[in-house]
Amino acid sequence: MKYFKLIWRNIFRNRLRAFMTLVLMAVIFFFVATLLSILQLFDRFEDQGQGANRLVVQSAISLANPLPFAHEQKLLAVPGVEDSCKMQWIGAYYKDKKNFFANFAIDQDHMRSVFEDYKINPKQFAAFKNDRQGCIVGTDLMDRFHWKVGDRITLKRQIFPYDPELTIRGVYSHSVNTASLYYHMDYHNESVPSGMKDHVNTFWLKIKDPSKMAAISQEIDAMFKNSEFPTETVTEKQFQATFMAMMGNIKLLFGGICTCAVFMVVLLAAITMSMSARERVTEIGVLKAIGFTQGKLMALMLTEFAALTLIGGALGVFGAKFLYSIIPMGRITQGFLVGFTIFPATMAIALAASAIVGLIAGGWPATTATRMSVVNALRRVV
Amino acid sequence: MSLVEIQNVHKVYKRDSFEVPVLNGISLSVPQGDFLALMGPSGSGKTTLLNLIAGIDHPTSGKIIVDGKEISNFGETALASWRARHIGFIFQMYNLIPVLSAFENVELPLLLTKLSKRERREHVETALRIVGLADRMRHYPRQLSGGQEQRVAIARAIVTDPSILVADEPTGDLDAKNAADTLDLLQRLNEEFQKTIIMVTHDPKAAGSARHTLHLEKGVVIEGAYGETQAVAQA
Repeated sequence: MKYFKLIWRNIFRNRLRAFMTLVLMAVIFFFVATLLSILQLFDRFEDQGQGANRLVVQSAISLANPLPFAHEQKLLAVPGVEDSCKMQWIGAYYKDKKNFFANFAIDQDHMRSVFEDYKINPKQFAAFKNDRQGCIVGTDLMDRFHWKVGDRITLKRQIFPYDPELTIRGVYSHSVNTASLYYHMDYHNESVPSGMKDHVNTFWLKIKDPSKMAAISQEIDAMFKNSEFPTETVTEKQFQATFMAMMGNIKLLFGGICTCAVFMVVLLAAITMSMSARERVTEIGVLKAIGFTQGKLMALMLTEFAALTLIGGALGVFGAKFLYSIIPMGRITQGFLVGFTIFPATMAIALAASAIVGLIAGGWPATTATRMSVVNALRRVV
Repeated sequence: MSLVEIQNVHKVYKRDSFEVPVLNGISLSVPQGDFLALMGPSGSGKTTLLNLIAGIDHPTSGKIIVDGKEISNFGETALASWRARHIGFIFQMYNLIPVLSAFENVELPLLLTKLSKRERREHVETALRIVGLADRMRHYPRQLSGGQEQRVAIARAIVTDPSILVADEPTGDLDAKNAADTLDLLQRLNEEFQKTIIMVTHDPKAAGSARHTLHLEKGVVIEGAYGETQAVAQA
């Protein structure tokens, strides 16, 4: 701590340069934190079923191909399957196509049993169950459209030939999925034409013993292998990963942008730090003359450089955290980034990266400046 | 009793493929408590000799013994530690750290010691009092005159109570009055505090403040300080 003043004063010895470096670091790490958090948000979507005891049964041909309701009895007969819940992706929107969000028809009688991680007031859920055109809505989706319980809403069709007319009966909360809408499978089933009736695109199975999920999924797929509707049974995590895989290129792109941004900032910081080290060669010579060793001076300079980039990084990261706490990203991105924030893990990674930028960028200038002999350093005219 | 013993020291600098001899077999003894001025034309080797005595450069051959220790054998880290304890530096351009106050500049060498914050403060205040700048300790170098900056540099040099003060053209950048004040201060440090001072200077007036003067030319002593015959003969 006795060197704190020396380090701190050196950080801001050239205020304009320090300011520019801080702004550069803040801007870059604002975007790095944002992109990393988006990636982490994707991962959280992917992980939302992780650890859950659920399997998803879908058509082996494609998710768009429906499976008959009749499969459900056979699925429930498989040892280890405790319960099943039918769920159909509806793909409708609210008023305008830009108001797109995830909406599903769900087996209202089995939802609570299979999706225990979705929290909802029991009275509201009972009201939902008792209303054939009732629906339950995630917290963020309620906020997005300023809905309240009891509101009547009409969704616009896209896939199925009807416009779901619904009454909001309850609000659910969930650790990740907070922007979906669920309504009765019965209402959906009676609204679709006869050729579509009694079919659904997924069955969600609750498994007694999660360690047997792999064996159970194999058994299920083997059971329907030669049927008219073969299945592909996957864990919930794998199921979500299928969706996220569609974003694979986006993830790669974001990861690439982050890497390039950090690489660029290392180069720019290296230029700044080279200038800073170069103009202090004589001072370094003086400090060495009065007894500072090369190692101590290296440590002081690297601490200074790392502190500078860390402060800049922190400004960007905490700035992003603050900004996203007041900007409704879910609404702005039409539900794409629901629940978006700068996650603690992202903050830690970005802050560590910003300090490492200082160490890498300042490593060579600090080594060069401190390695110089005292005589040469004192002779140097900068 | 000699504090600094220089025995047949040679120093050769390499410039690309050329070898430039700067000191050619210098031998010299500096007694404890002396105030020695090194004089000579540019390129005579006086600053190189000062650097060798101060332990910031290594001789090509020969021995440098300070206070009974042969420092010419020390490695860089050991030399740094030795300098921190035994040498106080005074430079022509003062070389204060511009972002630190006078107090903080003087405190710098003490950061390398195990002294507590309170002890460091006492030492710094004493040093600044000796150089007459106790009232300027919160001032930054840019807020001080050249003479005051040099006095802060002298305070920094004496704050660890080193056995030797080395001064390289300490008055070279000062006006006549400040130069005289600085020389007075060095004389006082030598007489009152028994500091051994070795000073490089071009200025005969400055050299006049020293107890002894040694003239160098082309890397040899041409006019000895403690008996010409001896010095010239050893050179």
